Amino acid sequence: MAETSQPPEAGGAAPGGPAAGEEPGPQEPGRAGALGPPGWLALAFLLPALLFLGAYMLYPIGFSVYRSLWDASGTTFVGLENYLRMFTNPPTFVALRNNVVWVVVAPIAVTVAGLIFAVLTERIRWATAFKLVVFMPMAVSFLASGVIFRLVYEQDPERGLANAVITTVQDTVAPAGAYPDARPREGAGLAEGPEGGYRLEAEAAPGEGVALPLVGVAADDLPASAGPASGPPDAGPEAVTGTVWLDFTPGGGGEEGAIDPEERGLPGVQVRLVEADGSTAATARAGGDGSFAFEGVEPGAYSVVLDGRNFAEPYRGVTWLGPTLVTPAIIGAYLWVWAGFAMVLIAAGLAAIPREALEAARVDGATEWQVFRRVTVPLLSPVLMVVFVTLMIYVLKIFDLVFVIAPGSVQADANVLAVEMWRVAFGANDQGLGSALAVFLLVLVVPAMVFQIRRFRRENS
Amino acid sequence: MTEHRWSARGGVALAAAGALVAAGCAPGDGGGAPGGGDLQGVQLKVAAKWTGVEQENFVEVLSAFEEETGATVEYEPTGEDTGAYLGPKIEAGEPPDVALLPQPGLLEEYAAQDALVPLSGDAASALESNYTDYWRDLGSVDGEPYGILLKAAHKSIVWYRPDAFDAAGVQPPQTWDDMVGTTASTLSDAGETPFAMCGASGWTLTDWFENVYLSQAGPENYDRLTAHEIPWTDESVVQALETLGEVWGEPDYMVGGTSGAVQTDFPTCVTQVYGQQEAAMVYEADFVAASATEAGATVGEDARAFPFPSVGEAAPVVVGGDIAVAMSENEGTQELLAYLASPEAQSTWAGLGGYLSANSQVQPDAYDDDFTRQLAQTVLDAGEDVRYDMSDQVPSRFGATEGRGMWAALQDFLRDPGDPEAAAQELEDAAQEAS
Amino acid sequence: MSDDAAATAPPDARPDPPPEPDGGEGAPRRSAASRAAALLGSGAVQVLLVLIALFWLVPTLGLFVSSLRTPADNAASGWWTALARPAELTLANYAGLLDNPVFVGSFWNTVLITVPSTLLIVVIASLAGYALAWMEFPGRDWLFLGVVALLVVPIQVALVPIAQLYGGAGIYGSIVGVVLFHVGFGLPFAIFLLRNFFAAIPRDLLEAARMDGGKELTIFRRVILPLGGPAIASLTIFQFLWVWNDLLVALVFADAANQPMTKALQAEMRQFGANIDVISSGAFISMVVPLVVFFAFQRYFVQGVMAGAVK
Repeated sequence: MAETSQPPEAGGAAPGGPAAGEEPGPQEPGRAGALGPPGWLALAFLLPALLFLGAYMLYPIGFSVYRSLWDASGTTFVGLENYLRMFTNPPTFVALRNNVVWVVVAPIAVTVAGLIFAVLTERIRWATAFKLVVFMPMAVSFLASGVIFRLVYEQDPERGLANAVITTVQDTVAPAGAYPDARPREGAGLAEGPEGGYRLEAEAAPGEGVALPLVGVAADDLPASAGPASGPPDAGPEAVTGTVWLDFTPGGGGEEGAIDPEERGLPGVQVRLVEADGSTAATARAGGDGSFAFEGVEPGAYSVVLDGRNFAEPYRGVTWLGPTLVTPAIIGAYLWVWAGFAMVLIAAGLAAIPREALEAARVDGATEWQVFRRVTVPLLSPVLMVVFVTLMIYVLKIFDLVFVIAPGSVQADANVLAVEMWRVAFGANDQGLGSALAVFLLVLVVPAMVFQIRRFRRENS
Repeated sequence: MTEHRWSARGGVALAAAGALVAAGCAPGDGGGAPGGGDLQGVQLKVAAKWTGVEQENFVEVLSAFEEETGATVEYEPTGEDTGAYLGPKIEAGEPPDVALLPQPGLLEEYAAQDALVPLSGDAASALESNYTDYWRDLGSVDGEPYGILLKAAHKSIVWYRPDAFDAAGVQPPQTWDDMVGTTASTLSDAGETPFAMCGASGWTLTDWFENVYLSQAGPENYDRLTAHEIPWTDESVVQALETLGEVWGEPDYMVGGTSGAVQTDFPTCVTQVYGQQEAAMVYEADFVAASATEAGATVGEDARAFPFPSVGEAAPVVVGGDIAVAMSENEGTQELLAYLASPEAQSTWAGLGGYLSANSQVQPDAYDDDFTRQLAQTVLDAGEDVRYDMSDQVPSRFGATEGRGMWAALQDFLRDPGDPEAAAQELEDAAQEAS
Repeated sequence: MSDDAAATAPPDARPDPPPEPDGGEGAPRRSAASRAAALLGSGAVQVLLVLIALFWLVPTLGLFVSSLRTPADNAASGWWTALARPAELTLANYAGLLDNPVFVGSFWNTVLITVPSTLLIVVIASLAGYALAWMEFPGRDWLFLGVVALLVVPIQVALVPIAQLYGGAGIYGSIVGVVLFHVGFGLPFAIFLLRNFFAAIPRDLLEAARMDGGKELTIFRRVILPLGGPAIASLTIFQFLWVWNDLLVALVFADAANQPMTKALQAEMRQFGANIDVISSGAFISMVVPLVVFFAFQRYFVQGVMAGAVK
């Protein structure tokens, strides 16, 4: 935000503005008549400003247009080639596409949020405090906001707030298993089973004991109840027994698939005995030494299955800053920064709506929603338009937030025109293409420029 | 864009600017300079990106030159982006006398702009007698010698955590197949995640690729690929990518799986190994030592490194580093470069620590610690087969830009290592776009 | 932006500033019939708004708490765990920052960039705003329309040309270059705001002063500046924050020795996880000044921002 016009509701009234080249009214300032100062003095007052505007705005516009017609080093005239490259060059094209997403989504989202907040706060006592809180991000830098959201969007649910909230909810619904990293020792005859579990390929019959060696669990991560593994208990004629243990001797060594002295059981693993038709005949839970037993089993052939719930991965949360979600995630941060702006402008517009109009509608029996839709929103529409157009102009030029929030590996996926322009002109030193991108951005804001001038002239006539 | 990799602290540690410069460079005024002082009253400017301890050590090396010759040498830190610092200075006609360029690409660029002065006299002969042909060629453009690789970084080592190796009962591997087939798989069986990846920092992935490619395809192909004389779609590239896929394609082998690997930056990956003990190994250069120390490990004890295992016949030795060039014809410039290229200056520097030389005349015993001594030995042993970091030799738009070229293509490949051909094609497209 | 502020209207003699943005005190404007229904919904609305306010506050709190934790703690667990263990909070990150010459230097650079550019903008724009509002010369209205048009010009257009210009002039990378750039790009808004405000000053006041034979500069100083106080305050605060918070201009035009905090911190972002101690505490320090300014002068700041609608 660095430039612009009066707030709309203020527009007509407050600076009771002099016209730009319109009919002088009674309050028209500037007509100093004979008493007015000479023209040269006006020039003296204006001179510093004119010099700056000339050097920093007019000259650069001209030079950028000119420079955009030359190649990277500025030695060869290339005509419109830079503009062509802009649309064919994949990184630039991604930037263009993202800019479209930004311009379509962000202004609407922010305006709607601002409208909702403004309407809701009309009814509460602590509206001022609320507005202060929501408006506060406008005062701090995008860099600081970016840092704040990098922390929010951190992937690891242990550290990132957003994923911490999501995984907490998710884990209550579907808790993680006790041994998410465990997997069968290769060559131990364990195959992938149903629902993420494992199945012993050889069938088991009552009276047999089975070995279920697993690996991939760090010894430090074993529960305190894990003791030295012991072989399957003696199985009576009506029982199937077994041992599920961590088949890895700390420090290496040991025989694969066999229970070595230092190897420990995996207590709590759920084991099922499954009949040929797939129904579960019995369930058991491994003890501290890894042993388990299915008692009272009918004769027959069964498969032994390690339940998938043992190995359910903990939910890792959403990859906010991955290639697919990075732009929506940054738009979320943008909403956080700008909602206060929209809210304050719209609240001012709301306050200016004549109460009679609302009361009249209510007397006519309209519901609050109808009043809102039929009366409030139409009366607010000029304000909403201003908010929307303002946001659009800023969104077109969005730079800091994208640059700061997107990690290096997804910068390309989060790319937008302003970032691409900076990168091309000052990272890759291609000032030809960089200038073309800058000119393109300028062209994009021209409709806003026209909107602005027309609104200004209307308000002052 | 590669500068930051030398400094664990990134920008903030950089540019400790004025104060240190003044403190470090004040002497040298005296008429009492021994050794004749034939450069009495001459003032020289040297610009490099080193700050903090690195800067102090360099300034100390410079002070010996000041004492010897009577010249005054002022050190200017360039900040993170050496190119962005020098560009405007060149344009304004006020470049430093000597600059340390982080990439040969910059050297070529400036030579083409006539912004460099070729080495001559003692400086040229110092380069001739102290460096191998490869380093001479690296610093030359069209046969004209311009640059001296002054400070090297060894990029062919894999860092590991000995207690994790002990717990799994594995030894540092000699070959790539051992590393993947035995070391990594056994670590994984033991419940230790084998690797921490630094995928968010694209340059670390280019370093992985370069080591595998150099060892597998050999130095000649490495040079041809660097020069883009063979396309990136070449079978050798596809093969190297397939090899990388043996690690990158195993989510179980990387902290946080694939998405964790892509989202972790350098040196967070180092912290994952030495701070949080979440992984057993991390691949990056000798400068990992600084980050490992910061994470609370003691280098040589609980933070050790083994040479990057051989994929093909010989283990690779990839080196990066800063190249000293002359940017003015002022008196004393060539003398200063000759001094910097000398084994004496570099041996002094080696004794101060945090320094690795590519000079064949600098003896391993000049280094004050075993670790660097061993690194220096591998560089000397590799002789003509040492190669300079490829991503820093190709145009920076392709090799050293965030979200572009090699960085982006290899990050995409890490994200989805299923299709090496497609990745090779992406690299080729980017290489063509950048040339 | 408080209702209090709205109540404290400027003294009568002065022209009205743009009205308070949230001036509406959403008090009783409902009929008795709707009141009951509204009461029902109001509980839900209150809860919803509390949740929204939390959504706005908690991330900032997260930054603050993170800045009080050691890097090891931050790497190991989320900041919210520290709320249960306040003992692990420490000022070490801030102490480290104050010992860090680069950061301390960048803080002063921020000040050295922000203060002069704000002052220059206010002075130059006041003069130009006065001339455009109250002095008669040919083409005045067109000139002002030109300023209106320049309001939306994107900063990107000037980066390459001014960088080349600065390279030639030898001020590339210097603080002067950054300051001048901010002045150049801040002027259209500043002129626009002040000219509109000055134009609303009652005509007779100026006429009287001119009758008395006052010189233009005297009128400017004695009449315009005092009466324009509120607008100038808005502009000052707005520009101050704008420049203080800038990253892009610094990124292009300030070299390492002259970089402001934003650029210094941005460089750390490349290694976000590892530099979290510097980043979090640095970002918080960079926020403190804007937040103090914001809470102290919220009315003027909001006016400035509102005037910034449709840039």
